[in-house]
Amino acid sequence: MLKGIILKIPSDDTIVETIQTFVENIGLTAGVAEEDVTSLSIAVMEVVKNAMEHGNGGDPKKLVTIYIDVYSGRLQFIVDDCGTWQPDSELGHEPEEGKALISSRGRGVLIARNLARWLDYGLNPEGKTRATLIWPLT
Amino acid sequence: MKIKQEIKDGVMVIRLSGKVISGPDLMELKTVFQTAVNNEKGNVLLDLGHVAWMDSSGLGVLVSGHTSLTREGSRMAILNATKKIHELFIITKLITIFETFTDESEALTSLKE
Repeated sequence: MLKGIILKIPSDDTIVETIQTFVENIGLTAGVAEEDVTSLSIAVMEVVKNAMEHGNGGDPKKLVTIYIDVYSGRLQFIVDDCGTWQPDSELGHEPEEGKALISSRGRGVLIARNLARWLDYGLNPEGKTRATLIWPLT
Repeated sequence: MKIKQEIKDGVMVIRLSGKVISGPDLMELKTVFQTAVNNEKGNVLLDLGHVAWMDSSGLGVLVSGHTSLTREGSRMAILNATKKIHELFIITKLITIFETFTDESEALTSLKE
């Protein structure tokens, strides 16, 4: 059983693909279907990229911490950053309209929520932003 | 991600394969779009038939390329988006701005008009 895995990574987007591959392997080990592991990894990495950008301002010295645990019937990723940001209440629930639709940014939470179906934002015990993403295991 | 380009019937065909996600490869794709805009090569057909996945950064580059080409009076259409990529277009509502085709001949006929 996968328990207590903790990753601390710099806010550097050149590391994203490496972490994505790691998340895919975690998913396969946890029992996520092979055709779904890329969706899982994309969802997790959208959350991680937001933590790097919005929480840590893209500062490579600021770390994003990912806690990975498998529980009965679910794979859980907790992503902590160094900021206190939160998505707008509607961000990630509905696609953008009008001019925002053709923005080149701002779709990460929307994609993560739709792929994972369970993504919540809150604060960790230190008062910093924490995202919790849960992937059901069948 | 791998990028191949060719001109067919006067249309610039860009074929992508692999994962269109954050990273250095996306800069190359941006450059390809920018070259298409700068060289006034006309309309662009983007073949996604061999794209395994795309993230929000990849989508952002597609939207940016589409916007730049449209601003210059050109068109960009999508060919053979896989089921997963098509779902992404629906989730993000980009399906409302992208022209999509599943037949290359039909796409080329439309774009060379």
